[in-house]
Parts: sequence; C-alpha cells; structure tokens
Amino acid sequence: MDDLTREFLLESREGLDRMERCLTDLETHPGDTELLAEIFRSVHTIKGTTGFLGFSRLEALSHAGENLLGLLRDGKLAAHPGIISGLLALMDILRGVLQSIDTTGAEGESPQADSAMIARLEELQHGDASVTLAEPVLAAVETAPSHPGKSRKSRGAGRRSSRQHGDSQGTPPPAEPGEAGPPKEAEAALRDAESQPRPAPAAVPSPSARPATQAQPEPPAAATPGAADSTLRVDVELLNRMMNLVGELVLTRNQILQATSTDANFALLGRRLDMVTADLRESVMKARMQPVSHLFSRFPRLVRDLALALDKRVRLEMEGQETELDKSLLEAIRDPLTHSIRNAIDHGIEMPDVRVAQGKPAEGLVRLRACHEGSHVIVEVHDDGAGMSIERIRQKAVERQLVPPQRAEQMNEREILQLIFLPGFSTAAAVTSVSGRGVGMDVVRTNVEKIGGKVEVDSHAGKGTILRLRIPLTLAIIPALIVHSRGQNFAVPQASLTELVHMSAGETDSRIEWLENAALYRLRGRLLPLVFLDRLLQQAPRERTAPCDIAILNADGRRFGLVVDGLADPEEIVVKPLAAVLREIGYYAGATILGNGEMALILNPGAIAQNANVSLSSEADDGLGDENRAGHHDFLLVETGNRRAALPLETVVRIERIPRSRIERAGSRPVLRFEGQLLPLDDAASELIDAGDDPEAQTTVVVCRDGDRHVGMTVSQVLDVTGGKQLEQAGSGGVAGGITLLHERVTSIVSLSGIPSLECVAESPAMEDFQPAEGQR
Amino acid sequence: MSDVHASPTQEVCSVQVGDTLYGVPIAHVLEILGKPATQPVPLAPYFVGGLVHYRGEVLTAVSLRRLLGMEPAKTPEDVLVFENPDGLFGLFVDSVGEVLHVSQAEHEPNPATLEARRQHLFAGAWKLKDRLLVSLEPERLDPMRLASAFPA
Repeated sequence: MDDLTREFLLESREGLDRMERCLTDLETHPGDTELLAEIFRSVHTIKGTTGFLGFSRLEALSHAGENLLGLLRDGKLAAHPGIISGLLALMDILRGVLQSIDTTGAEGESPQADSAMIARLEELQHGDASVTLAEPVLAAVETAPSHPGKSRKSRGAGRRSSRQHGDSQGTPPPAEPGEAGPPKEAEAALRDAESQPRPAPAAVPSPSARPATQAQPEPPAAATPGAADSTLRVDVELLNRMMNLVGELVLTRNQILQATSTDANFALLGRRLDMVTADLRESVMKARMQPVSHLFSRFPRLVRDLALALDKRVRLEMEGQETELDKSLLEAIRDPLTHSIRNAIDHGIEMPDVRVAQGKPAEGLVRLRACHEGSHVIVEVHDDGAGMSIERIRQKAVERQLVPPQRAEQMNEREILQLIFLPGFSTAAAVTSVSGRGVGMDVVRTNVEKIGGKVEVDSHAGKGTILRLRIPLTLAIIPALIVHSRGQNFAVPQASLTELVHMSAGETDSRIEWLENAALYRLRGRLLPLVFLDRLLQQAPRERTAPCDIAILNADGRRFGLVVDGLADPEEIVVKPLAAVLREIGYYAGATILGNGEMALILNPGAIAQNANVSLSSEADDGLGDENRAGHHDFLLVETGNRRAALPLETVVRIERIPRSRIERAGSRPVLRFEGQLLPLDDAASELIDAGDDPEAQTTVVVCRDGDRHVGMTVSQVLDVTGGKQLEQAGSGGVAGGITLLHERVTSIVSLSGIPSLECVAESPAMEDFQPAEGQR
Repeated sequence: MSDVHASPTQEVCSVQVGDTLYGVPIAHVLEILGKPATQPVPLAPYFVGGLVHYRGEVLTAVSLRRLLGMEPAKTPEDVLVFENPDGLFGLFVDSVGEVLHVSQAEHEPNPATLEARRQHLFAGAWKLKDRLLVSLEPERLDPMRLASAFPA
C-alpha cells in the first residue's frame, strides 16, 4: 500500500470517529450548525480524497451522505433520529470499506448493501417533507442527479451542484482534481492556492502530492479549528525506539558523570547533559500521552446503540476527558472499558418503567469519569441502576461452583463483590446479545492487571454500581524499590509496597516465628505470612541469623512479608519486557536497567502471593477493622456472676456504670433508658436481684447491637478485650457455634438474639416510643 | 581467500566454546557484545545464561555451555546478538574469533554418530585445513524453540 493510501485511511478513520462523536451530540442538539458543519467536513474530506484515489464505492457512498448532510447543514432539513441512524449506518459501511482497503487493498464489493444505503439516504432527504423548511424544490432538483445506478458522469454533476450548495454557505470544499470549474471570487485565492499542488488524477500519486486535507480551508463560520493543524502523526514504534534510546542516553550520562566527577569543567558539562537528558526523557514520555477523550469519544455511540437495542433510556455523562494517559495504556483499557459500559447498561440500568416505579427518573445515567490520583489515572464507570445484590452474587457463585457453599457463607460483602471477577461468573438471567455469557468481568480484571492496574467495584442494591479502573500513568516507568537477594537486584513495584521492617543480625532468629514450615512475623500483634525470596527463587540459602529486611506487600488484598537480604534506593524504573520463556516463570513482571547500569528483575507480588498460598484478607487497608477475618474475632471478655462470657467486640456499643434507679421494669422484665430509647436488659449477672432495693447502687451494663436493635446486659466485671479463634468441632470440620478459645480457656459467646425483644413485654408504657436504635459508639 | 573455491562461499563468525570452534553465518549476527554485564535469572530454563543489556533492551541470552551440558565458564563471556521473529536474543560464547570464509563444498552434515541433542543443535560442520568448524544456525538457538525442544 502506498503512503498516500495509508494516510488516507488514517485520516478517514479519524474523520469518521469525529463524525460519530458529532452525530451522537447532534441527537441532543439537533440544531447545532457547528456540529453539522463538522460532520459535513468529515464526509466531504473522504469523498474528495476517494475520488482522487479512485475508490469509487467510497465515493458514491460518501456522496450520498454528503447530499443529505448538505440539506441538514443548510437548515433545509432538521435532524431527527431516523436521519442520525441512517448516517450512523452509513458510517459503519464506510468503516467496513476502509477496513477492506486496509487489509486487501481493494474496496470489496457489496452493490446491494450500497444501493440500499444510498436509497435510504435518498429517502431521508425527501422523506420528511414537514421538516423541510425552505427551498424544497431547489433542494430536490439539486440532489436529483445523485441516484444510484446513474453513470459516473451524472454523479459528477451532482457533486458539482452540491459544491455550489456548499459555496453558498461559505464552506469551500477542496477542489476536485480534474474539475477545475470557475471558482467563486470570494474564495478564488484560497482555492487556487490549494488546488495548485494537486496533480491530475492520472498522475502517479507521490508523497509530495498528498491532498492537503488537514490544511483544508476551514469555513469562516466554524470557530473551532481542529487541533490537527498543529499536530503530526508519529508511528508509535518510533516513539518506543526513542524511549529506548533515551534510556540508553540516561545510562551513558550516569557513567559520564561518574567518570568526570573530578574535573570541574567536565562536571559542569555533565550537569548540563544531565538536565537535557532528563528533559528529553520527559518530552518523549509526553509524546506518548493522549487524552482519554480519544477513547471516550466512541462511547456515546455505544451507549446510544445499546440503549436502543435494549429499549432502555440511558444518558451518558463524561468527565475529565482531557486527562492524559500513555497511548498503549489507552489501547489496553479500551476493551475493559467497553465491557464495563455494556455491563452497566445491560445489567445495571433498569427498564424505564421499573425505574419510574422505584422513584428514579426514567432515563438512566451512566457516568464516565477520568481523573489523576497520584501516579495513577482513575477511570470510573458509574451507573445509577439496580446495583448488585450481595445475596444473589453469593447464590450464583455457589450455583456455578465457583466457591464452596460453606466458604460463601463466611465471606463478607467486599469478598462477595470480588467474586464477580471470577471467570465464568454471570448473574444475567438470560444470555443476551449484549452480555451475560459469563465472560466479561474476569476479562476486565485480567486486562487491567496486565498493565499493572487494579479494578475496584462498589455496589449498592437499588442505587447503582461504581466500577473503578486504577491505571498507572505510564506503562514504561514505574516507581520501585530495589532489593537485594543473594547478591542480585530485584525491583519491587512501589504500588504494592506498604511498609518495611529491618531486622539486625541478632533479631532474625527471635522475631521470625515458625509454625511448622510456615514463617510468620508478628506485625502489630497480627501474624503475617513470610516469603523468603532466596528460597522462592531457589538461590543459595542465606544463614538463618543473617540480618534481613522484610518488605510488607499487599498484592490485591493478599498481604505478606517478602524477606530479602537488604534494601537499596527506591528508583523510577523503565519496564522492559521479558522473553516468553522467562515470563513463563511467573514471578517476574519484567526487567529493568538501573541507574548504575546494572540490571534487575521486576518481581510480580501477585504471583508470589498466589504461589505461596497467601489468602485474601478482608482488611480494608492497613490492617484496620479485622473483626470479620474468617475464624478470628475480637471479644469483650466479661464476668457474669461467677462465670466468664464473651461478647463479640464489634457488637459492643457502650459499657456504662449506671445507678440502679435508671433501670425500670416493663412488666416483669428490666428495661434501660438509653439515649432516649428503651432497651431490653438481660440480667445475666443477677446484679439487680442481688443489689436489693438500694437506688444508689451502681451496676455495669454493656450495651450491644443485635441486628438493628440494641440490647443491654448486666455484668459483674469487664475483664479484657482479646482476640480468639473459633473452634472447630472435632471431626466435623465445621465451626463450633457459641464457643471460643480465649486466654486458653473455652468461653461461651453470649447469644444476643436470645434476649427477648420488647414486643414480647406486655403493657410497656414506653411501647409507642420504641424505635430500633441507630448504632452509636 | 574466497576466490580459491569454486562453490559459493559465505562469511562466518568463528566463536570458541570449550575446545570446539563454532561458526555462525555473519549475516545473522546483529552485533557482538564484548564481555557485557549479565544478570542471572533464578528459576529460568537451564539453557538461559542470563540477561544482557543491549541498546536499551534487555535480552535473554542462551548459554551454549549450559545447552551442551558443559561446566560454566570461568571468565566473562562474549555475547552474540541475533534477531528472531519475536525480537532479539543473545548467545553466550567463551570468546569471539575472526571472520572466516568457508565454501559450501567443505560443508558436511552432522555425522549419524553425534549425540541426539547435538544433532538437533548443530547444522553440520565445515572442514577447515586443520580442524572442524561446527555450523550453528541462530534459529535453532531461539529460546522459544529450545524451550519446546528441550523441556526441563
């Protein structure tokens, strides 16, 4: 394929993308003349160039589109959904032809589809007479010669007429080669300047004779000249190569700086070299950045088509389109994002009547948002649809045997939501053409993780879902900590590093604890599994008492400590891909060349955690709120009467010493007024009976939350807050309910639900005031 | 030298590994790296000698010694850089010698008595005046191919 055709393809695709964006916008602003002019220009450019290159099929199609657009632009016809659908369909055909030119070099043939398309566009020109505003006769006459099946000559006549058409609006289309009709005076100079360098169509196209479509004169009315005027297309390969060379330059610079540090003159030059190199590196990186609008621009169409196909009403809002991201990353999140939007519309947004019934506006909202957050770009897909039901996900996961039922029961909300990323998971009741085939979310996650990103999901039943893609700013450079293991460098991505612990020679043996073969470290009272890098990589083993450092890593919720010989400086590293044979090892995410010229392998914490069987922990961030961790709970240890009992700590709202006088009786049961509410009280310690009638005597009451009610319990003494493990019942493999091991003693857990509610209490004077209490601590 | 032979000749880069002299057609050699810094890769397939840095890229380099089951080299090795369809890779050799002109007429296929692994790796030999020059074809040394041909 010659350069000219390649350039034409690129340009036309861009034009079509722009057109697609404008068309969907047009649907909301039907009268926007600027949009119409922009669309017209796109089609016109294609038409102009195709004639020149001899792609007659493209020419005929775009010509038909142009005629319709001409009417729209001139206000002779008003845009309505029928027209927009027609133009979108035209765009799809044009894309198909471009694709065919790209792959086979020829336009391909499909005369029936073409003539049907052209006829459809014709019909649209005439079809809606009521909205044809002015000069209907003239419009009809002008467009008449463009019927399909007419000879090329007659199409040429049509083209000329449409050009006059254009001229009357002050939009000079590029001169057609071989069609040097007398130009209108107003644009004569411009037109001449433009048409001059063009050769006759018969001439062999040469690079110098490219149609200067980018320099096409903009209509004076259109106020926004495209950014294309000041930009240049560069092959990404070339940029990659430049990036590499800059990396090379950085290394050479480092060596020069070391070699010349003694000579003052050289040092000065060296510093200058240093600055220029840093600048150059930044510029090259910048050259690879593109605003996310390049990606977002395709979504209005997607949303529109999906909504139509599903009979839903969906509005798309986009924010932060100017946020820039590395070109390759932008490509990499294209599919995940498309999937996510499909999901949001198919599964998320409800049918209009359902929405109205739930008090929501009939039109659903999908919000696409991009923003910077530190060294990441966040891309969010937010829908205000049905949200995900935790219970349904749990059921589905069990049904599809993705998790054993027992495990599913123990999982908390966060873990359950993570299940949607498992391969083969889908809650769609039926497989639709849009989604529901059980692929999707796992693909989203895999693709995003492949580029070092993360996917987070947050969903509330009835309110909607937020899917958050966390993408590193650039693939090429990541901040990393360099660690040593047995004399070799390894890079640990900072993204997964949470903290560092150093152990001096004497400490290693005592502070690393062993449970059979598993090494553990007690980090703020909790046991953290350890992975020894030297053992993992089967390097020569280190002495057990040698000093070491532990890098505490969090790889997608898996926390573990990586034991290494020592730490070097953190460094911004350029990620170099590894050959396939080395990628297969799994522990390495790539390699890099350090500032000192040495190489380092980049570790993949996720793979290491997986291999070491580190399990997902449910801790939100840095080990806070671990009460839900499976099998481990904190308890309030109390004494009631003369036996010990345990209250799950997360249920405890308050511990109070209260005078006996505040405890009242409703019927035969003691009740307590607590923050304006009445609580049922369990006199487990028999404190009330023992104390007799002394109103001044005080008693200790623990107020607990039980579901959405509060209950009180009298205790003799609060002993301790302590962690305990649930015991397994011997032989059953199941958790024994109601007892736990605290301070090496089996202790029974108080069953709060066993405290009868006030509804059972007859004739309580405060009955009407009773409301379920809100949790307060 | 090449004029002497009637049959077509080619230039080969001679490399020494152990006591054997090997020859690689010079057209396949992208570059020769003299004793570059190398980085071992733990858990890598046995034939991978390590990583070398080449023009901003990190190349996987195959070790001919490891491939042939020889003792590791005692001194730093040279690396030949080859190109394969997936990218570049390197080959560790003891040292790189001079470029030799060899003629097709002097080439003979592998003897049937050669051990199977070497049958697979070598592409025959050229008969030099006083010794043999074993022919190596870079495509047989491609790490991906080696991985499938000689699984660990």
